[in-house]
Amino acid sequence: MNWIKAVPAFLVYTLLMASAPLGNAAPAPAHNLPKAEIIRLGERMYREGILPSGAPMPAFIRGDVEVDSSAFSCSSCHLRAGLGSFEGGVVTPPTTGNKLYKPYRRPPSLGDTPDRTGRYIYAKTVVERPPYTRETLANALRFGTDPTGQIFNDVMPRYPLDDADMDVLITYLEALSSTPSPGATSTGFSFATIITDDVSQEDRQALLEPLENFVAQKNHQLDLYNDFIKFGYYPTIEMKHAFRKASLDVWELKGPPETWHAQLAAYNADKPVFAVLGGMSNRSWQPIHDFCEEQRLPCLFPITDLPVISESGWYTYYFNKGYAQEGEAVARYLNRLKTVSSHTAILQIVQDSPVGKALADGFRNSWHELGRPAVTTMTLSAHQLGNKSTLDKLIKKHKPSILLLWTDAGMIAKLPQLVSKLAGHGNIFVSSGYLGKKTVTIPESIRGRIYITYPYRLTPYVGSQEGVRDANVPILSSAKEFGQRRITSRTTTMLKQTALRGLNLLYDNLYRDHLLDIMSMQMDLVVRDYERLSFGPGQRYVSKGCYIIRLGSGDNPEILPQSEWVIH
Amino acid sequence: MPGFLGVHLRVSAVNTIFESRIHRCLMKNSFPVIVTSLLFMIMAIVLASSPVQAESKSYKRSVEKYTIPNVVLVNQDGKKVRLQSILKGDTPVVVDFIYGTCTTICPVLSAGFLNLQNKLAATGHTVRLVSITIDPENDSPKVMNAYLKRFRAKPGWDFLTGSRADIDTVMKAFNAYIPDKMSHYPLNMIHSPKDGTWVRLFGLLSSREFLAEYQSVAGK
Repeated sequence: MNWIKAVPAFLVYTLLMASAPLGNAAPAPAHNLPKAEIIRLGERMYREGILPSGAPMPAFIRGDVEVDSSAFSCSSCHLRAGLGSFEGGVVTPPTTGNKLYKPYRRPPSLGDTPDRTGRYIYAKTVVERPPYTRETLANALRFGTDPTGQIFNDVMPRYPLDDADMDVLITYLEALSSTPSPGATSTGFSFATIITDDVSQEDRQALLEPLENFVAQKNHQLDLYNDFIKFGYYPTIEMKHAFRKASLDVWELKGPPETWHAQLAAYNADKPVFAVLGGMSNRSWQPIHDFCEEQRLPCLFPITDLPVISESGWYTYYFNKGYAQEGEAVARYLNRLKTVSSHTAILQIVQDSPVGKALADGFRNSWHELGRPAVTTMTLSAHQLGNKSTLDKLIKKHKPSILLLWTDAGMIAKLPQLVSKLAGHGNIFVSSGYLGKKTVTIPESIRGRIYITYPYRLTPYVGSQEGVRDANVPILSSAKEFGQRRITSRTTTMLKQTALRGLNLLYDNLYRDHLLDIMSMQMDLVVRDYERLSFGPGQRYVSKGCYIIRLGSGDNPEILPQSEWVIH
Repeated sequence: MPGFLGVHLRVSAVNTIFESRIHRCLMKNSFPVIVTSLLFMIMAIVLASSPVQAESKSYKRSVEKYTIPNVVLVNQDGKKVRLQSILKGDTPVVVDFIYGTCTTICPVLSAGFLNLQNKLAATGHTVRLVSITIDPENDSPKVMNAYLKRFRAKPGWDFLTGSRADIDTVMKAFNAYIPDKMSHYPLNMIHSPKDGTWVRLFGLLSSREFLAEYQSVAGK
């Protein structure tokens, strides 16, 4: 009696639909609001699944499965730019006014049903629909049928919206990705990179070299392509979008970070760019992050160890969480040790610096998330750290068996003495990023008790320096490169393995949000500097790992991993 | 053998479309993997379903035997869970593979889980549901907890993560190895406590179909 069980859901749907006109009646503009407010409300419906009233948008899938659309927002499948996605074998078509009001051919998708003769849809029978109108679009959203009566894939929810709400949503869809983003035209992209004045000349060059190469290569390809055309090559539609001119501006930021916003605004007003490719600062990336969020400007993989840790940040892609990720790795590592209980005395000694603070915050936040009690944290100046009796007093007072020592290499010489004072043959945790090149000078006698965070690849990588997989190139091991910022290699990875793919797949959809959407749908990457980069809608820190290691003996010590890449 | 030839033609046509689709939609390096896996999926659908079957059911059902590997995973509360133990017991358990930031099919699979949970709860029955991540890098207990909250999951629905090696072992044991999460497919598996078999359901099920499949296992 399955149909009996379906009746209640169907009734609910019918009742919800009672206020909505059936058939092809046009949604009337019932919300008497300014356009900007309608767009804001429409954006909330589209992205968060919340009605203008503030209630969740009701939705049904598979005919009778009622779902709450805050977990089923439009953007979760059609993505933020509204140009659709391809995932899990299911094709999600575009949903912007531009595309909806034109005819569309949808490629085959999982869930397609065979036609009357039992054949599956393929070239000759590929689903084609005429342009929507506001009326047929409202009908599609409510009942899941296109203008020809073709029924949508089951994964598309049906939304029983009333006229006023439907009008808000459709008005938003019409505005969504309707004008190309600044910095892109059918013939070229403008890019910038951002460098702050604390970056050394050497590092600056390490950053600019791959970027300038990339731009030169893109322009060279365009020249070749134009030559082909001269000799009679007739490009297909897709090929026409494959080659565009590129330019790169260097946005130099000088002086205190409080002034960066104004400097960025001036650069952007002078010549807007489509995206920021890489960049570098030794200071917090926060002001640049904020500017990019505000301008909705993609910023792809800057070299920074002090990124903004945020769950809602959208426009900046980071390699990882920088120092915070090292602190987090220690929290995850300690959390799973049987020898660590809520009674274990853990002391954090933090050098008073942005780096020390980022490491300590990363540990503290992660430790808290794991449901662990707060640990004692002492922040000391470099001068205080140099004072033996201050440290002795602290150890004597707190009697830690685990010491997290978030300092620079200045403390390496003091490690033997500190470790000897720890309760119960305890251990010290340090950051390889903060200790830098001197990490290898940790005295041999205590290496067994010093645990080091290491957020880079340890297993051999087969590939060239350029970060492109190439089985003919000898194995490189990137281990032991303590203190190496990997500016060129990481920037090359960014350009050739992720940004380029996104740019190549834009075709004529020149929207910044679409670039980020496409990049978020990438498959995982194995790259030179990290074990694995992984993506996903909303994921903005693509390398998730950080090893905990110890050092073997000698001047050129072996690295002894104590954890896997991602610790759970 | 016209039937055989017919299948061949169909598959190569699908291949052509997918090639152009993939060029537009996906990344160059991943192209062979995706095309192969998609082609395989399409072939599986084309070969496995006659028109008559396809009309009656939108999913593919089979009964399988799996050997559950001895791995320890981590649930949404950060607790260690031995997979073999959580799948044991005298009531059926339903397993699927999802990930926390998935766009298209995971929300649908999870809505199916939630509806099954709600429908059975209304009859006083607690169903045991286990979602296993295919994105162990990103799916920490925190991410999984937030995911379950977003779907208003009730107790009895666990979301598990673990090391990539362990997750790979689990996927392989269920004949559901997905090398990259972007090329996954909708799959539900129901374990029968009586004879230890698994009902494997490939495709998206309506809540009625899902409930009927569950009850057929529970009532065996």
